[in-house]
Amino acid sequence: MKLSSQAIQVLEKLKETGEKTVRGFEEEGFDQATVNRALLELEENELVETEEQEEIVQEVTEKGEEVFENGSPEYNIIEQLDSGINPISELSGDTNVGVGKAKQKGWIEIDNGRVSLTDKGEEVDIDPVEKKIENGDFDDELEERGLIRSEPTTTKTLKLTEKGDEIDIDDIEEDFNVEARAETPRTGKKHYYKEILNFARQSWMEMGFEEMEGDYVVPSLLNFDALYTPQDHPARELHDTFFVENPETADLSEYGDKVEHIKQTHENGWETGSKGYGGDWSREEAAKNVVRTHTTAISAQRLHEMDINEEELPKKLFIVGRNFRNETVDRTHLAEFYQTDGIVVGKDLNFKNLKGYISKFFEKMGYDKFRLIPSYYPYTEMSVEVQVWDEEDEEWLGMGGAGMFRPEVVKPMLGFEARVLAWGLGIPRIAFMAAGLEDIRELYRNDIEIINQTPVWRPDWKR
Amino acid sequence: MPNIEIDKREFVELTKTDFDDEKLIKEASFLGAHWHNIDGNVCEVETYPNRPDLLSVEGLARAYRGFFDIEKGRKEYDVEDGDIRVEVDGSVKEVRQHIGGAVVRNLEINEKVLNGLIQLQEKMHETMGRKRDKLAIGLHDLSTVEPPFTYKAVEPEQVSFKPLEYDKQMQLGEILDEHEKGQEYAWILEDEDKYPIIEDKDGRVLSFPPIINNQLTEVYSGTEDIFIDVTGKDKETVLKALNILTTALAERGGDIESVTVDGETLPDLTPEEVELDPEYFRDVSGLDLKESEIIHRLKMMKYNATGGKKIKVKVPCYRTDVMHQYDIIEDVIIAHRYTNINPELPEVDQIGEQKEIEDTSQVVRDIMAGAGALEAMTYVHDNQENLTEKIGRETEEFVKIENPLSKEYSALRDLMTPSLLEVLKQNKHRAYPQKFFETGNVANLDESYTGASNKKKLAFIQIGDETDFTDAREMLQVLERDLGIELEVKEGQEEFFQEARSGKVLVGGEKIGFIGQFSEEVLEEWDLEKPTTGFELDLEKVNEELKK
Repeated sequence: MKLSSQAIQVLEKLKETGEKTVRGFEEEGFDQATVNRALLELEENELVETEEQEEIVQEVTEKGEEVFENGSPEYNIIEQLDSGINPISELSGDTNVGVGKAKQKGWIEIDNGRVSLTDKGEEVDIDPVEKKIENGDFDDELEERGLIRSEPTTTKTLKLTEKGDEIDIDDIEEDFNVEARAETPRTGKKHYYKEILNFARQSWMEMGFEEMEGDYVVPSLLNFDALYTPQDHPARELHDTFFVENPETADLSEYGDKVEHIKQTHENGWETGSKGYGGDWSREEAAKNVVRTHTTAISAQRLHEMDINEEELPKKLFIVGRNFRNETVDRTHLAEFYQTDGIVVGKDLNFKNLKGYISKFFEKMGYDKFRLIPSYYPYTEMSVEVQVWDEEDEEWLGMGGAGMFRPEVVKPMLGFEARVLAWGLGIPRIAFMAAGLEDIRELYRNDIEIINQTPVWRPDWKR
Repeated sequence: MPNIEIDKREFVELTKTDFDDEKLIKEASFLGAHWHNIDGNVCEVETYPNRPDLLSVEGLARAYRGFFDIEKGRKEYDVEDGDIRVEVDGSVKEVRQHIGGAVVRNLEINEKVLNGLIQLQEKMHETMGRKRDKLAIGLHDLSTVEPPFTYKAVEPEQVSFKPLEYDKQMQLGEILDEHEKGQEYAWILEDEDKYPIIEDKDGRVLSFPPIINNQLTEVYSGTEDIFIDVTGKDKETVLKALNILTTALAERGGDIESVTVDGETLPDLTPEEVELDPEYFRDVSGLDLKESEIIHRLKMMKYNATGGKKIKVKVPCYRTDVMHQYDIIEDVIIAHRYTNINPELPEVDQIGEQKEIEDTSQVVRDIMAGAGALEAMTYVHDNQENLTEKIGRETEEFVKIENPLSKEYSALRDLMTPSLLEVLKQNKHRAYPQKFFETGNVANLDESYTGASNKKKLAFIQIGDETDFTDAREMLQVLERDLGIELEVKEGQEEFFQEARSGKVLVGGEKIGFIGQFSEEVLEEWDLEKPTTGFELDLEKVNEELKK
């Protein structure tokens, strides 16, 4: 007799135990499709027979879970009556169902809008519905009320036939089929998103940029004030920014005189040629630690740290890093996300150059068509939104912001006037599309299958 | 970003131009206001917070008349001398110091105009008004009250009136407690003993700023003369807001009449004069525009501009965002259109360079993946419980978040291991054994100026029926072999590992991490049912050792 190696493997397993369900094979690491293919072969040779069993599986529904947690509506009603409430209008909870069921069960009487316990009701001291759910005592009542759900499932069991039992494995010849697919092994593998982020890093380095780094916890000074964001700006409100409880504040003496320069820039423009915002600027507010909301905070920090002569300019810097927003997480929003920031610091840079760098970067990331449209950020002027053309959906997609740092940002932090081209661009979207995800949360869910199945990404590999 | 809705018919009427929808959607965004959608006559427009003057159909029409070359240059608004006065009593100084006022007469207010005005007022409250704290606006039917008006602060019980939306006389304190708007904005006055009001000659209340107006002065379809009040904490903001409102009404054909507020004649619609150096413009923009071309573009953005060595620019009185020459330059480039600019890469001699630690972590990633582990990517923010109880630790030594929307973000992790336990939990339905690793950052409390710094770590975890301590040890040895450094393991107990299955990892005698097999308690906390083992190392220390 000739059999494929997979069929031989399945047969060997069955010889150990006599019978096994398909599910049981899967639990031992077999692939479901492989088992089914092997089964066909084994059935053909009358070595194995199958038995299918219909089974009704009952499970508690979400509604049932709620009753299990909070008690049934009718029990809640009689509990409230125990504590003396009886005008029907004062009862709380799911009174529609509760009052109806309690009446049906003869626990209560209703008279003129007032509800009272019957003798039978007085005797109820445990919630029978909750009890049934707890004991797994599933009956029709629970099903009718939608507290449990019944679903038929089929269990397929593989059993050796007499012939199968008798045959000696060593007598079977392996039928080798070069065309048959093997099982793809699970191997070690790098995460697709991290690889895309790395590709972005690589792109900046090819363009001659030097990498920056910085901490997640930064003073408001870096995240906002140095970036000329007024202290009453809505972004500084609690629902957008994570403020830090411990360690609560930073020691701003790290920035020496620059703190005073920033203060004056906000209040009256200092030596930047600006009018400033007016009003009073508070050092305490600037000392509050936050978890950075954008990597632009690190660009600002880098301007401060540069300690560079005008002759050593221009300088090109980038970072690919995580940022944090105090947002409600859903299919399209995360509280934590990657952004790539870049700055080019020089004496003779202009707006055309800004467009040059950004277009080059997106070209490297696989977008041939891109445009800039006017936008607004407190720290840039020109402020632009970067959009790329999405071939598939035929629409312009926002990829982040860019601009030239305002003199109000550059002079206080760098110490002298210079032009700074700056951008903060989103990367999740690229990864999102590369992995064909529909829910952005999947990026951090680390499902073995998704990490395993997602092919390596390159912008020009059209698949 | 504020979104407003406008009626296209009104936009057409005010611009005197019948745009087709496609042109608006396609080109109007190049001014810096996004036309998202046009559904019949309803246009949804998103504007940026630096341009509150665009929050009305009147303001938008004014800007687009310039941008689409229909009517260029600054619009002159005439202000007739009026004799209405607003006296400011010293009592408001500590409460809500500044007030501006103006009158606009001979208006033809219909339902649509009225809705637009309410929208403008509400959006200005939200944005430049910082939810009415910095700025609050009141519009009044002038025929219902008798000037002069007085702005003063009074005791909460001292005055009562019938506020909008409520049909009974209420004292100021009652309004804050009971009226919907009172409850919403009471926080602005929470530290005050006295509350501001504007009253007329006969003691009738016009408004209780920043909360609510008197029903008496409500503007309706048919109102002809309007008195505008703007109150707030910053004078410049108050006066700019007054200009935005007054000129929007004047765009509707109203006649502006001045009001004397505390001796000052308002509104002050004089343009601010600034200079633009054409050379500086060319330098910053990279655009080689002639002076006349710059002037033309300035006029498209509704500035007035005249030539000379430096261009003299008159900034319209309703612009709040012009602080620096850069702001003027931006507007010239917007008029030129960003899409008409050719990208240009400058010559910069610089060689690309990555951070050393990043290079090391790339090497480590290759080793770990090559040795059969799957790379995970997890969140840096974490639930405080995951960092403490759930791994049997008692510590307060991590970054805590003050205001998380969800307790899932109540901390930043100081260890990566809990994140990997979570990954195992998420993969319980997948086949075993499972091996994961991650290189990533944690935040540790330290002596730095903020009190916390990032640290780069490597963590590894393995779970399976046959998994034990040796599996982690093997993986550690693969690292040791490929990096060519010695990673010594000595006994040392961590709270989350089993006794006698817990070690510290040392490099040159210094502890740089831990290795071990997780305790039953920890596995139970994470709902894991098979033996689990792992290690976590400080990659920065590994990197230092590599350089020795």
